[in-house]
Amino acid sequence: MVTYSLWVINKAGGLVYQRNFADGLAQLSSNEYLVLAGTLHGIHAITSRLSPTGTSSGVQVIEGETLKITIFLTLTGTKFVLVTSLADQNSEPVLRKVYEAYADTVMKNPFQTPEMPIRTDNFDLRISTLLGGS
Amino acid sequence: MTIYSLYIFDRHCSCVYYHDWHRSLRAKVATEGNILPAVSHEVYSKPTEGDVSGTPTPSYPGSRLALSSSTGIVVAVNEQPPPTPATVATQTATQATTSSLSFDEEAKLVYGVILSLRNLIKKLSGRDEQFVNYRTSTYKLHLFETVSGFKFVMLSDPNTDSLRFILRQIYAGPFLEYVVKNPLVSMDSKERGIDNELFRLSTDRLVRNVSVFS
Repeated sequence: MVTYSLWVINKAGGLVYQRNFADGLAQLSSNEYLVLAGTLHGIHAITSRLSPTGTSSGVQVIEGETLKITIFLTLTGTKFVLVTSLADQNSEPVLRKVYEAYADTVMKNPFQTPEMPIRTDNFDLRISTLLGGS
Repeated sequence: MTIYSLYIFDRHCSCVYYHDWHRSLRAKVATEGNILPAVSHEVYSKPTEGDVSGTPTPSYPGSRLALSSSTGIVVAVNEQPPPTPATVATQTATQATTSSLSFDEEAKLVYGVILSLRNLIKKLSGRDEQFVNYRTSTYKLHLFETVSGFKFVMLSDPNTDSLRFILRQIYAGPFLEYVVKNPLVSMDSKERGIDNELFRLSTDRLVRNVSVFS
Protein backbone atom coordinates (compact mmCIF):
# COMPACT_ATOMS: atom_id res chain seq x y z
CA MET A 1 0.00 0.00 0.00
CA VAL A 2 1.67 3.15 -1.24
CA THR A 3 0.27 6.65 -1.45
CA TYR A 4 1.90 8.36 -4.39
CA SER A 5 0.34 11.75 -4.73
CA LEU A 6 -2.35 14.17 -3.50
CA TRP A 7 -4.01 16.81 -5.67
CA VAL A 8 -6.55 19.50 -4.87
CA ILE A 9 -8.48 20.76 -7.91
CA ASN A 10 -10.62 23.88 -7.61
CA LYS A 11 -14.10 24.13 -9.05
CA ALA A 12 -12.85 25.57 -12.33
CA GLY A 13 -10.50 22.63 -12.95
CA GLY A 14 -7.30 24.35 -11.89
CA LEU A 15 -4.75 22.50 -9.80
CA VAL A 16 -4.27 24.43 -6.54
CA TYR A 17 -2.23 21.88 -4.59
CA GLN A 18 -0.06 18.97 -5.61
CA ARG A 19 2.34 16.94 -3.52
CA ASN A 20 4.15 13.63 -4.03
CA PHE A 21 4.79 11.21 -1.19
CA ALA A 22 6.55 8.25 -2.80
CA ASP A 23 8.54 7.44 -5.91
CA GLY A 24 7.04 5.14 -8.51
CA LEU A 25 5.22 7.60 -10.75
CA ALA A 26 6.71 9.51 -13.64
CA GLN A 27 8.57 12.71 -12.83
CA LEU A 28 6.34 15.38 -14.29
CA SER A 29 6.70 19.14 -14.45
CA SER A 30 4.15 21.34 -12.72
CA ASN A 31 2.75 22.29 -16.12
CA GLU A 32 2.10 18.65 -16.96
CA TYR A 33 0.31 18.20 -13.64
CA LEU A 34 -1.88 21.20 -14.48
CA VAL A 35 -2.85 19.59 -17.79
CA LEU A 36 -3.62 16.24 -16.14
CA ALA A 37 -5.79 17.94 -13.51
CA GLY A 38 -7.71 19.77 -16.22
CA THR A 39 -8.23 16.50 -18.10
CA LEU A 40 -9.50 14.81 -14.98
CA HIS A 41 -11.91 17.68 -14.39
CA GLY A 42 -13.34 17.24 -17.89
CA ILE A 43 -13.58 13.46 -17.60
CA HIS A 44 -15.40 13.87 -14.30
CA ALA A 45 -18.06 16.01 -15.98
CA ILE A 46 -18.56 13.59 -18.89
CA THR A 47 -18.77 10.42 -16.79
CA SER A 48 -21.78 11.74 -14.91
CA ARG A 49 -23.65 12.03 -18.22
CA LEU A 50 -22.97 8.48 -19.41
CA SER A 51 -25.06 6.74 -16.77
CA PRO A 52 -27.29 3.93 -18.10
CA THR A 53 -29.77 4.32 -15.24
CA GLY A 54 -30.41 8.00 -14.64
CA THR A 55 -28.53 10.57 -12.61
CA SER A 56 -25.06 9.60 -11.55
CA SER A 57 -22.17 11.13 -9.71
CA GLY A 58 -18.97 11.77 -11.60
CA VAL A 59 -16.17 9.24 -11.58
CA GLN A 60 -15.14 8.18 -8.07
CA VAL A 61 -12.43 5.56 -8.56
CA ILE A 62 -10.21 4.98 -11.61
CA GLU A 63 -8.15 1.79 -11.73
CA GLY A 64 -5.15 0.91 -13.85
CA GLU A 65 -3.13 -2.29 -13.64
CA THR A 66 -1.08 -1.18 -10.65
CA LEU A 67 -2.40 2.21 -9.58
CA LYS A 68 -5.68 3.64 -8.40
CA ILE A 69 -7.00 7.21 -8.48
CA THR A 70 -9.65 8.07 -5.90
CA ILE A 71 -11.64 11.28 -6.37
CA PHE A 72 -13.66 12.97 -3.65
CA LEU A 73 -15.93 15.80 -4.76
CA THR A 74 -17.05 18.23 -2.05
CA LEU A 75 -20.40 20.03 -2.14
CA THR A 76 -18.66 23.24 -3.15
CA GLY A 77 -17.07 21.65 -6.22
CA THR A 78 -13.51 21.26 -4.97
CA LYS A 79 -12.02 17.87 -5.85
CA PHE A 80 -9.55 15.98 -3.68
CA VAL A 81 -7.62 13.38 -5.65
CA LEU A 82 -5.41 10.65 -4.18
CA VAL A 83 -3.16 8.48 -6.34
CA THR A 84 -2.32 5.21 -4.59
CA SER A 85 -1.31 1.65 -5.36
CA LEU A 86 -4.12 -0.66 -6.45
CA ALA A 87 -4.26 -2.53 -3.13
CA ASP A 88 -4.96 0.56 -1.04
CA GLN A 89 -8.34 0.32 0.72
CA ASN A 90 -8.06 3.44 2.80
CA SER A 91 -8.26 6.26 0.25
CA GLU A 92 -11.78 7.53 0.93
CA PRO A 93 -11.43 8.04 4.71
CA VAL A 94 -8.03 9.64 4.11
CA LEU A 95 -9.54 12.09 1.60
CA ARG A 96 -12.22 13.06 4.14
CA LYS A 97 -9.48 13.79 6.67
CA VAL A 98 -7.66 15.86 4.05
CA TYR A 99 -10.89 17.81 3.48
CA GLU A 100 -11.09 18.43 7.23
CA ALA A 101 -7.53 19.69 7.27
CA TYR A 102 -8.32 21.88 4.25
CA ALA A 103 -11.34 23.38 6.00
CA ASP A 104 -9.34 24.03 9.18
CA THR A 105 -6.14 25.44 7.76
CA VAL A 106 -6.96 26.81 4.30
CA MET A 107 -10.55 28.01 4.43
CA LYS A 108 -10.08 29.61 7.85
CA ASN A 109 -6.87 31.33 6.78
CA PRO A 110 -7.63 35.04 6.19
CA PHE A 111 -4.61 35.39 3.89
CA GLN A 112 -5.75 32.64 1.51
CA THR A 113 -7.42 33.82 -1.71
CA PRO A 114 -10.21 31.41 -2.70
CA GLU A 115 -9.54 29.23 -5.78
CA MET A 116 -5.86 30.17 -5.80
CA PRO A 117 -2.86 27.88 -5.19
CA ILE A 118 -2.54 26.82 -1.56
CA ARG A 119 0.60 28.10 0.16
CA THR A 120 -0.13 27.50 3.82
CA ASP A 121 2.46 25.91 6.09
CA ASN A 122 -0.17 24.57 8.45
CA PHE A 123 -1.90 22.64 5.65
CA ASP A 124 1.44 21.14 4.61
CA LEU A 125 2.03 20.14 8.21
CA ARG A 126 -1.37 18.49 8.63
CA ILE A 127 -0.95 16.60 5.35
CA SER A 128 2.50 15.43 6.45
CA THR A 129 1.10 13.97 9.66
CA LEU A 130 -1.75 12.35 7.72
CA LEU A 131 0.17 10.89 4.81
CA GLY A 132 3.80 10.99 5.87
CA GLY A 133 6.47 12.29 3.56
CA SER A 134 8.89 15.12 4.14
CA MET B 1 -25.70 -6.83 -9.92
CA THR B 2 -26.22 -6.50 -13.59
CA ILE B 3 -24.67 -5.70 -16.92
CA TYR B 4 -25.92 -2.68 -18.83
CA SER B 5 -24.27 -2.43 -22.20
CA LEU B 6 -21.39 -3.34 -24.50
CA TYR B 7 -19.66 -1.10 -27.03
CA ILE B 8 -16.96 -2.16 -29.48
CA PHE B 9 -14.80 0.53 -31.09
CA ASP B 10 -12.34 -0.01 -33.91
CA ARG B 11 -8.96 1.69 -34.25
CA HIS B 12 -10.49 4.50 -36.30
CA CYS B 13 -12.44 5.73 -33.24
CA SER B 14 -15.81 4.65 -34.58
CA CYS B 15 -18.32 2.50 -32.79
CA VAL B 16 -18.78 -0.73 -34.77
CA TYR B 17 -21.03 -2.69 -32.42
CA TYR B 18 -23.48 -1.97 -29.61
CA HIS B 19 -25.61 -4.22 -27.42
CA ASP B 20 -27.57 -3.44 -24.26
CA TRP B 21 -29.39 -5.46 -21.62
CA HIS B 22 -30.79 -3.94 -18.40
CA ARG B 23 -30.60 -0.35 -19.42
CA SER B 24 -33.37 1.82 -17.96
CA LEU B 25 -32.22 5.11 -19.49
CA ARG B 26 -31.83 4.73 -23.22
CA ALA B 27 -30.03 6.99 -25.63
CA LYS B 28 -32.07 8.62 -28.35
CA VAL B 29 -31.73 7.19 -31.85
CA ALA B 30 -28.64 8.34 -33.66
CA THR B 31 -28.65 11.25 -36.08
CA GLU B 32 -28.49 9.86 -39.58
CA GLY B 33 -25.00 9.89 -41.05
CA ASN B 34 -23.26 10.19 -37.71
CA ILE B 35 -23.04 6.50 -37.05
CA LEU B 36 -21.96 3.60 -39.26
CA PRO B 37 -24.56 1.18 -40.58
CA ALA B 38 -24.68 -2.29 -38.97
CA VAL B 39 -23.83 -1.31 -35.41
CA SER B 40 -27.07 -2.27 -33.67
CA HIS B 41 -30.59 -2.26 -35.07
CA GLU B 42 -31.79 -0.47 -31.92
CA VAL B 43 -29.95 2.78 -32.50
CA TYR B 44 -31.28 3.77 -35.91
CA SER B 45 -34.48 5.70 -36.45
CA LYS B 46 -37.15 3.21 -37.39
CA PRO B 47 -39.55 3.67 -40.31
CA THR B 48 -42.86 5.06 -39.08
CA GLU B 49 -46.03 2.93 -38.94
CA GLY B 50 -47.26 4.46 -42.19
CA ASP B 51 -44.53 3.18 -44.47
CA VAL B 52 -44.07 -0.34 -43.20
CA SER B 53 -44.19 -1.40 -46.81
CA GLY B 54 -40.93 0.46 -47.38
CA THR B 55 -37.63 -1.32 -47.47
CA PRO B 56 -36.58 -2.73 -44.11
CA THR B 57 -33.72 -0.51 -42.91
CA PRO B 58 -31.51 -0.08 -45.95
CA SER B 59 -28.44 -0.18 -43.75
CA TYR B 60 -28.47 -3.96 -43.49
CA PRO B 61 -27.75 -5.62 -46.80
CA GLY B 62 -25.50 -8.62 -46.59
CA SER B 63 -25.23 -8.85 -42.87
CA ARG B 64 -28.39 -10.93 -42.71
CA LEU B 65 -26.58 -13.85 -44.26
CA ALA B 66 -25.47 -16.25 -41.59
CA LEU B 67 -22.69 -18.59 -42.48
CA SER B 68 -21.79 -21.87 -40.91
CA SER B 69 -18.38 -21.19 -39.43
CA SER B 70 -16.80 -24.51 -40.30
CA THR B 71 -18.07 -25.02 -43.83
CA GLY B 72 -18.79 -21.49 -44.97
CA ILE B 73 -22.20 -22.53 -46.30
CA VAL B 74 -25.04 -20.04 -46.02
CA VAL B 75 -27.30 -21.50 -43.34
CA ALA B 76 -29.81 -18.69 -42.93
CA VAL B 77 -30.94 -15.65 -44.87
CA ASN B 78 -33.14 -13.17 -43.04
CA GLU B 79 -34.97 -10.01 -43.96
CA GLN B 80 -35.32 -8.71 -40.43
CA PRO B 81 -33.53 -10.09 -37.40
CA PRO B 82 -35.97 -12.01 -35.19
CA PRO B 83 -35.71 -10.09 -31.92
CA THR B 84 -35.32 -12.26 -28.86
CA PRO B 85 -38.37 -12.08 -26.56
CA ALA B 86 -36.33 -10.52 -23.79
CA THR B 87 -35.22 -7.54 -25.86
CA VAL B 88 -38.78 -6.88 -27.01
CA ALA B 89 -39.92 -6.84 -23.40
CA THR B 90 -37.25 -4.41 -22.26
CA GLN B 91 -37.83 -2.20 -25.25
CA THR B 92 -41.53 -1.74 -24.59
CA ALA B 93 -41.01 -1.41 -20.84
CA THR B 94 -38.37 1.30 -21.04
CA GLN B 95 -39.26 3.23 -24.13
CA ALA B 96 -40.60 6.09 -22.03
CA THR B 97 -37.28 7.07 -20.46
CA THR B 98 -34.71 8.27 -22.92
CA SER B 99 -31.61 10.19 -22.03
CA SER B 100 -30.90 13.63 -23.42
CA LEU B 101 -28.01 12.27 -25.50
CA SER B 102 -28.42 10.66 -28.89
CA PHE B 103 -26.61 7.40 -29.48
CA ASP B 104 -23.89 8.81 -31.70
CA GLU B 105 -23.04 11.52 -29.16
CA GLU B 106 -23.02 8.96 -26.38
CA ALA B 107 -20.67 6.65 -28.29
CA LYS B 108 -18.30 9.56 -28.93
CA LEU B 109 -18.29 10.52 -25.26
CA VAL B 110 -17.56 6.94 -24.20
CA TYR B 111 -14.66 6.77 -26.64
CA GLY B 112 -13.37 10.16 -25.53
CA VAL B 113 -13.43 9.19 -21.89
CA ILE B 114 -11.57 5.90 -22.34
CA LEU B 115 -8.99 7.53 -24.60
CA SER B 116 -8.35 10.39 -22.15
CA LEU B 117 -8.16 8.04 -19.18
CA ARG B 118 -5.76 5.78 -21.03
CA ASN B 119 -3.48 8.74 -21.75
CA LEU B 120 -3.83 10.04 -18.18
CA ILE B 121 -2.80 6.70 -16.67
CA LYS B 122 0.11 6.31 -19.11
CA LYS B 123 1.37 9.81 -18.45
CA LEU B 124 1.01 9.52 -14.70
CA SER B 125 2.70 6.14 -14.37
CA GLY B 126 5.43 6.92 -16.86
CA ARG B 127 5.31 3.39 -18.27
CA ASP B 128 3.02 1.34 -20.49
CA GLU B 129 0.30 0.90 -17.91
CA GLN B 130 -3.22 0.09 -19.11
CA PHE B 131 -6.40 1.71 -17.89
CA VAL B 132 -8.71 -1.06 -16.60
CA ASN B 133 -11.92 0.35 -15.20
CA TYR B 134 -13.60 3.28 -13.45
CA ARG B 135 -16.57 3.54 -11.14
CA THR B 136 -19.19 6.19 -10.37
CA SER B 137 -22.13 5.98 -7.96
CA THR B 138 -24.39 4.17 -10.47
CA TYR B 139 -22.19 2.26 -12.92
CA LYS B 140 -18.76 0.85 -13.61
CA LEU B 141 -17.01 0.95 -16.99
CA HIS B 142 -14.57 -1.80 -18.00
CA LEU B 143 -12.14 -1.62 -20.90
CA PHE B 144 -10.34 -4.36 -22.80
CA GLU B 145 -8.11 -3.37 -25.68
CA THR B 146 -6.81 -5.81 -28.27
CA VAL B 147 -3.43 -5.56 -30.00
CA SER B 148 -5.23 -4.74 -33.24
CA GLY B 149 -6.72 -1.64 -31.66
CA PHE B 150 -10.26 -2.84 -31.04
CA LYS B 151 -11.65 -1.57 -27.75
CA PHE B 152 -14.27 -3.58 -25.90
CA VAL B 153 -16.16 -1.47 -23.36
CA MET B 154 -18.71 -2.82 -20.91
CA LEU B 155 -20.92 -0.92 -18.46
CA SER B 156 -22.07 -2.79 -15.38
CA ASP B 157 -23.33 -2.37 -11.84
CA PRO B 158 -20.80 -0.40 -9.70
CA ASN B 159 -20.33 -3.30 -7.25
CA THR B 160 -19.11 -5.89 -9.73
CA ASP B 161 -15.49 -7.02 -9.79
CA SER B 162 -13.41 -6.65 -12.91
CA LEU B 163 -15.25 -7.92 -15.99
CA ARG B 164 -12.21 -7.87 -18.22
CA PHE B 165 -12.25 -11.66 -18.53
CA ILE B 166 -15.73 -11.54 -20.10
CA LEU B 167 -14.60 -8.95 -22.64
CA ARG B 168 -11.65 -11.19 -23.40
CA GLN B 169 -13.98 -14.15 -23.81
CA ILE B 170 -16.14 -12.19 -26.24
CA TYR B 171 -13.01 -11.34 -28.20
CA ALA B 172 -11.60 -14.87 -28.19
CA GLY B 173 -14.95 -16.54 -28.83
CA PRO B 174 -17.76 -14.87 -30.79
CA PHE B 175 -15.65 -12.01 -32.16
CA LEU B 176 -12.99 -14.22 -33.72
CA GLU B 177 -15.48 -16.81 -34.89
CA TYR B 178 -18.23 -14.62 -36.36
CA VAL B 179 -16.49 -11.35 -37.19
CA VAL B 180 -12.83 -11.99 -37.99
CA LYS B 181 -13.50 -15.29 -39.76
CA ASN B 182 -16.65 -14.02 -41.45
CA PRO B 183 -15.94 -12.98 -45.05
CA LEU B 184 -19.12 -10.87 -45.20
CA VAL B 185 -17.97 -8.57 -42.42
CA SER B 186 -15.63 -5.89 -43.66
CA MET B 187 -13.46 -5.00 -40.71
CA ASP B 188 -11.56 -1.74 -40.80
CA SER B 189 -13.74 -0.52 -43.68
CA LYS B 190 -14.67 2.76 -41.95
CA GLU B 191 -18.02 2.31 -43.67
CA ARG B 192 -19.93 -0.31 -41.77
CA GLY B 193 -20.17 -1.90 -38.35
CA ILE B 194 -19.65 -5.57 -37.60
CA ASP B 195 -23.15 -6.49 -36.42
CA ASN B 196 -24.43 -9.84 -37.63
CA GLU B 197 -26.93 -12.28 -36.25
CA LEU B 198 -24.62 -15.05 -35.12
CA PHE B 199 -22.27 -12.67 -33.35
CA ARG B 200 -25.17 -10.95 -31.60
CA LEU B 201 -26.74 -14.23 -30.52
CA SER B 202 -23.59 -15.83 -29.18
CA THR B 203 -22.48 -12.63 -27.41
CA ASP B 204 -25.92 -12.42 -25.87
CA ARG B 205 -25.71 -16.04 -24.71
CA LEU B 206 -22.22 -15.55 -23.30
CA VAL B 207 -23.16 -12.44 -21.33
CA ARG B 208 -26.41 -13.91 -20.02
CA ASN B 209 -24.50 -16.88 -18.61
CA VAL B 210 -22.19 -14.69 -16.52
CA SER B 211 -22.92 -14.92 -12.80
CA VAL B 212 -23.25 -11.14 -12.32
CA PHE B 213 -25.95 -10.96 -15.00
CA SER B 214 -29.41 -11.14 -13.47
